[in-house]
Amino acid sequence: MRTSRQATRTSSAVVVYVIILVAFQVFLLTVAVEAFAADDESLAWTTATVSVVLACGSAVVYRYLRP
Amino acid sequence: MTDESIPIWKRDFPYEAAAEDDVTRREFARYLVAGAGVMAAGNVGIAAWTQLRKINTGEPREIVALDQVAVGDTYLFRYPAEADAAILLRLSDDEVVAFSQKCTHLGCVVFYETEEDRWHCPCHEGNFDTRTGTVISGPPPRPLGRIDVEIRDRAIWALGYEP
Repeated sequence: MRTSRQATRTSSAVVVYVIILVAFQVFLLTVAVEAFAADDESLAWTTATVSVVLACGSAVVYRYLRP
Repeated sequence: MTDESIPIWKRDFPYEAAAEDDVTRREFARYLVAGAGVMAAGNVGIAAWTQLRKINTGEPREIVALDQVAVGDTYLFRYPAEADAAILLRLSDDEVVAFSQKCTHLGCVVFYETEEDRWHCPCHEGNFDTRTGTVISGPPPRPLGRIDVEIRDRAIWALGYEP
């Protein structure tokens, strides 16, 4: 049975994980702007795809956070 | 009448902490996830914009008479639009190169360094190859925008712009 302390640890870990994903999203945004400036379509779409995957990942992880 | 949603201990001891109304961990995570979603949407928007936008690559036009630019000299002009500063360099009697003057780092104006034989950006010491415009050193992430030029009837013509 999961104790309250374990649950707190888990939810903290989830929040930290989401923070890391969001920080990576900020980085991806700068890459996308750079791809735009360089007119690099393939890089822009790759960045967008990774960004969407990460956002979905964040949403999935968020579901494990206890109310 | 008692409110059943309030725990018994709270009814017995109606104590309120100063930080009780602060954002919860779950709410904080929700804001982060929403932010991630917004950034993902922004990335998709930027990608779509990159795909759909039209870049002005310019129309062929005469820039300057060949006699007006000596070998080893540069000439400043505007191409493809009036707002786009460009520079050409006459390498030999029949060889000319031209580039956008906008540094690909932060947009400062590049010029030709005769002693070093390279395009130089003085803002952050970016250097580009004379003939190809590729980055030699410094922070610029990509080559200079290249303008396709050729000599026709003793005049230098710009044919198009490649960002």
